[in-house]
Amino acid sequence: MVSKKVKVVNSQGFHMRPVTTFVGAMGKYESDIKILSKGNEINGKSLMTIVAACIKCGDEVEVQCSGADEDAALQEAIGMIESGFGEE
Amino acid sequence: MLKGIAVSEGIAQGIAFCIDADRNKENCEDSYRKAESKDEESARFQEAMTAFLEETERAARDLEKRGMSEEAGILRSHMEMIKDPSVTSKIKEEIDNGCCAEEAVDKTMKFFADLFEATGDELTMQRAADIRDINSSLCSKLTNNDLMDPAQLPKGAILVIRELTPSMAVKIDPARALGIIAETGGYTSHAAILARALGIPAVLGVKGALTYIENGKTLILDGISGIVLQEPDNDTKKEYNKKAEMFQLQRERLNVFRGKKSVTASGTIKEIFANIGSVEDAESARAADAEGVGLFRTEFLYMDRTKAPDEEEQFEAYCKAAKAFSPDPVVIRTLDVGGDKDIPYLHMDQEENPFMGFRAVRYCLENRELFKTQLRALLRAGAEGCIRIMIPMVTCLAEIRGVKALMAECCEELKAEGKRFDPDIKTGIMVETPAAAATADILAEEVDFFSIGTNDLTGYMMAADRGNAKVAYLYETYQPAVLRMIRDVCKAAGKADIPVGMCGEAAADPALTPCLIAFGLDEFSVSPEKVLATRKKLSLWSSEDAIAVADKVMSLGTAEEVKQYLDSLKKEAE
Repeated sequence: MVSKKVKVVNSQGFHMRPVTTFVGAMGKYESDIKILSKGNEINGKSLMTIVAACIKCGDEVEVQCSGADEDAALQEAIGMIESGFGEE
Repeated sequence: MLKGIAVSEGIAQGIAFCIDADRNKENCEDSYRKAESKDEESARFQEAMTAFLEETERAARDLEKRGMSEEAGILRSHMEMIKDPSVTSKIKEEIDNGCCAEEAVDKTMKFFADLFEATGDELTMQRAADIRDINSSLCSKLTNNDLMDPAQLPKGAILVIRELTPSMAVKIDPARALGIIAETGGYTSHAAILARALGIPAVLGVKGALTYIENGKTLILDGISGIVLQEPDNDTKKEYNKKAEMFQLQRERLNVFRGKKSVTASGTIKEIFANIGSVEDAESARAADAEGVGLFRTEFLYMDRTKAPDEEEQFEAYCKAAKAFSPDPVVIRTLDVGGDKDIPYLHMDQEENPFMGFRAVRYCLENRELFKTQLRALLRAGAEGCIRIMIPMVTCLAEIRGVKALMAECCEELKAEGKRFDPDIKTGIMVETPAAAATADILAEEVDFFSIGTNDLTGYMMAADRGNAKVAYLYETYQPAVLRMIRDVCKAAGKADIPVGMCGEAAADPALTPCLIAFGLDEFSVSPEKVLATRKKLSLWSSEDAIAVADKVMSLGTAEEVKQYLDSLKKEAE
């Protein structure tokens, strides 16, 4: 299992549209992907549960990936969050 | 007459076409039946989902072709929502438990809609509408009963529905639908965004619309004020025909100024900001192309409730307003209670002369805890967006220093608590008392900006209450006494090299624009619908011409002469 903490930088936070792109990308990986936020463990491939977690700009989240392609998955996940999902 | 939230501008007259979507919702539960075979129900769900995905993909591509890629993104989100593994696994689980496909979908989608509703987060709660939308789309696919056939909509119809769902909104043909009325929804709902993108006038949040409006009746929908009229008489129809024509004409003329800088004919750049009273206003002000907020009246956060909003609630409201305008500034005025604004739980004493009494900053400096809660929220929000603090009703330096001392206390506390805040937040004052205006040069040394509040300044300068019919004639911004004050405040700000704005009604008065340019006003804060008109007015005046007008105005002896002279210029311009 690999994991990394990252700060949410886009103004909308983990909202519908950025998360749509995010789960679209994560769906390609075989690994399990989890997002840890405010003590909750969220399925990183589930649009609904991520949006319902109301993760906002400025929040810190931890992404955990475990599986055959965990390194690549983590790298892409962190890259997307750090770049603000290409928003702004 | 019905009233709702105007979310898409324009005026429409047409025939009511009512669709009671709730009926279909009941149908969804009616369609529950005994599942014969799990495999069969699974297959039926798969089939409905495939059909939904194909149809949505088609609609999304359609929107993209029309250059509406943002709106297409909403539909792509819908596709991801139904493909979500936690959704499909829950549906499968329900089917395994013996539910038919309809019930499995309905239960699952309701579960997630409730989850979204329970977050208490406004934006997330609005997305619950998207989930219900997908639910009814899937349900109608399963029962082969399509909710709304856009071909059914007769030409010239005004659609009246319970909830405008995005999937409905994209099926609406702007050539047929003249307007949209819905019982629920707000300015930031996806449906509202789509209505604006399609350019269809829309009023959402009209309570009881489906109860009061009858199918086939003539309706007038005013997407500017949010008013809906049923069976208007001929005079009203004529009046609205005129309004609609004017609106069209103005919109075409003013739209040229959308997205442009606010600049005078001789190239001086000014700023046009908006006055707002709530977070929702911030969104519409941004949509109206304001370059910032020049006055956020925080009283409304405190009104119509039983106790003051706490720090978190205020913090969130300020952050949201700042985000709507990021990276442009939002000037937030601290609590301006008293005068004509009464808030029962603050237990303010009855005063003989409330306008000269214990109000605004005077009250706040005495009620330190209440004030500190607001200052802490503002300081914290300042770290999240571009926020400026504005103190109302200032009359002397002691008040500014008093507020700054409290702010310093708040900063110490926040630092000790390890909270993020902006220690260098810009702090300015409203110049709305003659005392502040006359000592503007002194006050300018200790603040970051001025904003002239012409409404109160006029009343205090002329010692006239505009609500008193016997003296209201004196209440006039064109009075030489008031104009001199405005000029001197601008001059003092220029000397101290701090920006000066104006957030009273005079800022949007087109007759005064040349004077304000000549005085050196930097920022015009107006109500959102006046933003483009003010920008247009600015573009017509060069500094040279403006100064000539101002010189003439300042040489006149009475308000009547000033008014006459400025009116004559208006006629010339036309």
